[in-house]
Amino acid sequence: MTLVMVVDDDQDLAEMLGIVLTGSGFDVDLVNRGDEVLEVFRNNPPDLVLLDVMLPGIDGIEVCRLIRLESMVPIVMLSAKGETQDIVRGLEAGADDYIQKPFRDKAELIARIRTRLRRTNADVVGILAIGDLSIDVTAHEVHRGTTLIQLTRLEFDLLVALAKDPGRVFTRDALLSEVWGYRHSTDTRLVNVHVQRLRSKVEHEPENPEIVMTVRGVGYKAGGPA
Amino acid sequence: MKGIRQALRQSLAVKVILSTVLLSLSVILLAGSALNSRLSDGIRSVSLTSAIAESRFTFFNAQYQMLLSQGETLEERRQIIADLVLSATTKGVNEAQREMIFLKAPNGNKSAISFEMSSSMIKVSSVPAELRTKVQENTELQYQYGIASYTSGVKGNSLFVGERINIPGGGRYEMYLVFSLKSQTATLDLVRNSLFLTGLALLVLITMITWLVLRQVVRPVRDAARIATQFTKGDFSQRMKITSQDEISTLAHSYNEMAYSIEQQISRLENLSRVQQRFVSDVTHELRTPLTTLRMASEVIYNQRESFDPFVSRSSELLAAQIDRFEKLLEDLLEVSRFDAEVAVLEAVNIDVIALVNRCVRDFGPGENHNNALINVVCKDSSIHIRADVRRVERIMRNLLANALDHADGKEVVVTIVTTETEVAIGVRDYGSGLDESALIRVFDRFWRADPSRARFRGGTGLGLSIALEDARLHNGELDAWGRPNKGAHFVLTLPLIAGSSIQARPISITPKDFHQESFYL
Repeated sequence: MTLVMVVDDDQDLAEMLGIVLTGSGFDVDLVNRGDEVLEVFRNNPPDLVLLDVMLPGIDGIEVCRLIRLESMVPIVMLSAKGETQDIVRGLEAGADDYIQKPFRDKAELIARIRTRLRRTNADVVGILAIGDLSIDVTAHEVHRGTTLIQLTRLEFDLLVALAKDPGRVFTRDALLSEVWGYRHSTDTRLVNVHVQRLRSKVEHEPENPEIVMTVRGVGYKAGGPA
Repeated sequence: MKGIRQALRQSLAVKVILSTVLLSLSVILLAGSALNSRLSDGIRSVSLTSAIAESRFTFFNAQYQMLLSQGETLEERRQIIADLVLSATTKGVNEAQREMIFLKAPNGNKSAISFEMSSSMIKVSSVPAELRTKVQENTELQYQYGIASYTSGVKGNSLFVGERINIPGGGRYEMYLVFSLKSQTATLDLVRNSLFLTGLALLVLITMITWLVLRQVVRPVRDAARIATQFTKGDFSQRMKITSQDEISTLAHSYNEMAYSIEQQISRLENLSRVQQRFVSDVTHELRTPLTTLRMASEVIYNQRESFDPFVSRSSELLAAQIDRFEKLLEDLLEVSRFDAEVAVLEAVNIDVIALVNRCVRDFGPGENHNNALINVVCKDSSIHIRADVRRVERIMRNLLANALDHADGKEVVVTIVTTETEVAIGVRDYGSGLDESALIRVFDRFWRADPSRARFRGGTGLGLSIALEDARLHNGELDAWGRPNKGAHFVLTLPLIAGSSIQARPISITPKDFHQESFYL
């Protein structure tokens, strides 16, 4: 069974989320305080974390940063604040996706969770090369020479999406649909923030990228093999 | 010329200085020329008087010598005349230059012997003919101003004085004294130059004094204007400096009091509206979490409705629908509070307006829950690319379409898209119940409804059009409304091709082309 950790200070909402997720076939761990998350997380590592921004103890953005220090588990932020800066701060702290409260319907929530748990590039196998990186899709590992580079699942998916089709320019909308599973574009900031984070891990000089290249006014493409 | 006129209109200092200079200039000119003519007249009359006195004495002496010389030999008489000429002629450089001419009168002298003589420097021919005639006809002394020619070739203004002299036994002669006016002219020039220089110096001094005095008055006025401008721009901390006890400081005092009072009022109002907006925003946020729970709970119940009895089942449907409506209202309220707090941010990207409109129209297509109204899109172009906030433009379109369909009474709705080089306009026209004058004014007001008794098909929140207007203005665009009772309504959204630049024209006029004023009143 897939274990989803639900972190929300509102006990009723957490319980309701639990009911809905259990109904959809997930196991659920409910946590109400930010400072309790890490303990529960270590004792029983979940497959995905559903994390509210406003939490007592430690706030959600900080919790997100702390989880990222020790795990590459998918994190989806829940935000009652629609404001830009909260979303961007959450994404920068390491969240893969976010859902705004109130959700359109429970199907939307489930769909987002499923996308994050699924292997998005199931059709790709073997080893891909992009710049001086080698991507072992099967083993889910990225190496530069002999050094292993730690990527979250989402960052890995983003890199593979670009690398499997070298030379093709991906618009932000295309990446949103390919990596995040959005049917029509909602928020291209999601792409921008994750490209920045990916670059900070895989580029020699993130300001002067050679792996994930920007195509001005269009989107991104993979750099050629070294 | 234009520049001067503009400076005159814009600067008090320039105006005052210029008029002061012009006025003093005319006064100085008047006084100067009066002084000049008085002085020259004086100098001339003094030298004329002395010249005539000298001449009188010289001529009398000559006549006397001539009388005494009767009986002397011709040679001796000539010598006497030569002495006379010599003594009358000055050689000194500093003295007024004086020459003598002694001529035989052309009539009344039949003597063959000529005693004609002149001082060596002067040309005899320079005696004016007019003067000679006067001398010949009168026994009195005569004078005239003229130009003397010298043997050196030099010419100069001179005073000619002449009288008839009788040489006993030698006939009638004319004796002339020529006084050079050179030194007199020099004196007059000196006087004129001094007057001119004095006038000029006075003018410069007056200008400087005026400027100095003006600065004392104008500078505080300028300071006040600058401070008022900064105040207008929003820097409410600006105050005038008070350094004296004069009228300017009174102005500064009252100005500062006014500024202080305005600053207080504004900060009070700002505070109030900040608290108000904060409250609305907090309330909306706080409502979201319970609403999320509600929504999910109602969905779980709704999905099970077939297993309930009909009353509970219908209740679950109503619950779900009302939660939707509530949520929409909450979203709109939050958006309105963002506009009120001026924190709404435009996220402009490149979009194709036609694709966007078609997408919205498709979502409102037939088969939706009411009014099988048809939406027709009329446009010459296949795509129009603009830079705009896709979410906001979509929201405007959805609001306009929903509004049109709600009031179309089942008749068609026409969407027209026209573009120019700087803007794009989208018109949404319906032929339904329309709007009257009083409704038009209020159509963008919050929570205002054209007809409160009307069924609300779309479940609009009453905030749609006012949000649409704010969205349009955030792009620097406009949203206009037109309507006539039972003739339908027309809403036109005009957006600049690049969000933020201004719109130059209205590609679609707000009065629809298919509406004719005359036929309406017939």
